Amino acid sequence: MSDSMILLLAKGAWETIVMTFVSGFFGFLIGLPTGVLLYLTRKGQVLEHRTLNNVISVIVNIFRSIPFIILIVWMIPFTRALVGTSIGVEAAIVPLSIGAAPFIARLIENSLIEVPGGLVEAARAMGATPFQIVYKVLLPEALPSIINSASVTLITLVGYSAMGGAVGAGGLGQIGYQYGYVGYDVFVMNTVLILLIMLVFLIQFLGDFIAKKVDHR
Amino acid sequence: MIELRNITKKFYQKTKAITALSDVTLTVPEGKIFGVIGASGAGKSTLIRCVNLLEKPTSGEVIVDGQNLINLSSKELAKARRHIGMIFQHFNLLSSRTVFENVAFSLELDHTPKQEIQKRVSDLLSLVGLDEKHHDYPVNLSGGQKQRVAIARTLASNPKVLLCDEATSALDPATTKSILALLKDINKRLNITILLITHEMDVVKDICDEVAVISEGQLIEQGAVSEIFSHPKTALAKEFIASSLNLEIPVDYKERLVAAPAADKRPLLKLEFTGQSVDDPVLSEVARLFQIDSNVISARMDYAGGVKFGVMLIEVFGTQENSLRAIEFYQNKNIKVEVLGYV
Repeated sequence: MSDSMILLLAKGAWETIVMTFVSGFFGFLIGLPTGVLLYLTRKGQVLEHRTLNNVISVIVNIFRSIPFIILIVWMIPFTRALVGTSIGVEAAIVPLSIGAAPFIARLIENSLIEVPGGLVEAARAMGATPFQIVYKVLLPEALPSIINSASVTLITLVGYSAMGGAVGAGGLGQIGYQYGYVGYDVFVMNTVLILLIMLVFLIQFLGDFIAKKVDHR
Repeated sequence: MIELRNITKKFYQKTKAITALSDVTLTVPEGKIFGVIGASGAGKSTLIRCVNLLEKPTSGEVIVDGQNLINLSSKELAKARRHIGMIFQHFNLLSSRTVFENVAFSLELDHTPKQEIQKRVSDLLSLVGLDEKHHDYPVNLSGGQKQRVAIARTLASNPKVLLCDEATSALDPATTKSILALLKDINKRLNITILLITHEMDVVKDICDEVAVISEGQLIEQGAVSEIFSHPKTALAKEFIASSLNLEIPVDYKERLVAAPAADKRPLLKLEFTGQSVDDPVLSEVARLFQIDSNVISARMDYAGGVKFGVMLIEVFGTQENSLRAIEFYQNKNIKVEVLGYV
């Protein structure tokens, strides 16, 4: 393998990592509060609100039903307005974040549902405000499960970012697409695959490790 | 200290309304321990949850420490709840926090300074006897220890009132005793008024001053524990008292038991002492008066609120005529006698 090819692969790997983690971060920034809100407005919860819950739920479902490859294209005007371009890593982060957010919201909602209701009740009985219930009870208690959700999300994002690569997002996906699908260079294609597999294993390993560390149940 | 006035609570399921509580009125005087006893589904859990408005009554008034809670805003209610402690059957400790951090929880809600939290939590943990467990996680504690942490946690905010929702139902008998002793100690030492709900008459007998019996959402009987134990009016109250005094005939006696008298068999009697029974040394009196020897096979006698009550299985040695006279003697002393058979 030539030096330039190694450099290209290293750059691609770095871009994939950046896309995955940065969009994961922004995805959580949007998805976490949405998930918490979905949970809190559920029937029987502290901020029960049917209409609000339905509205959020519908929006989340709509975004979850758009295939990611179409979401990227569909969002181009918005992406351009936000980061000034529709090509490259920066541009890919926008649809990746938006694509991940509703997915994360549902995962967070499910994590919170698993927290025993008695804990929320005890906190209410002690005079905790809804905000205190969220950040002192629900989120810490759901943390191991939220971290597992984060692993799942990041791994999904590795896949999404590769999809983005096909339409000019950069990263390992684009290299795999250009050298593999277009040029049919088996060696490069397989190297890309191995790098992606390693990345996924690493995320899963770290996720499991951290989840176990914070789990005292 | 706690006053519930005409509390009615209805749950709506689809189209039909279920009445969980109907027109419940009760008063818990300051410094007392008040027990509400009832079978599961009787509404006792709903009742105790109405006191701190975890469950909002459909109608009625809830007054705690002179403050009517019904019309408070959610902010005011949160504040009022900080002075109403509550412990639960399943402890409800935060698994993500250590023992220390769990107790600190309610102090954090009030934004108490760190140093004060440190001191207060240490004091509370030694009060409940968990000095050595500061940094353990709840998962490593026994049920009794968990309930002690929960008690320390709820005491942290200096409550005037403590609500116990089946606090000992998930514990074994020995641990139950020790938790009840702790509650009694807290009641005496800190002058905290306690309202507890339970399905076990033993809990009421051990620590309560007053008791109410709840059935199908209504309080059917209430009064001082000694009064209820000595003169239960309703069948349910009698049943609860009897349940705390349940006696089984031992297996080998059961095998020998026959319904009709026989030459080589002796009567097996069950004597039931209630509050009305005359408090006399009856067994020895019977022995003296009728030349009857009694063999106590099994007995459970108890003393609550100044009265003695209980049941006893005795095998009677004597002539048939004298045995009958002995039974009559017991009955005259208001002791309920049942001939279970002959052994």
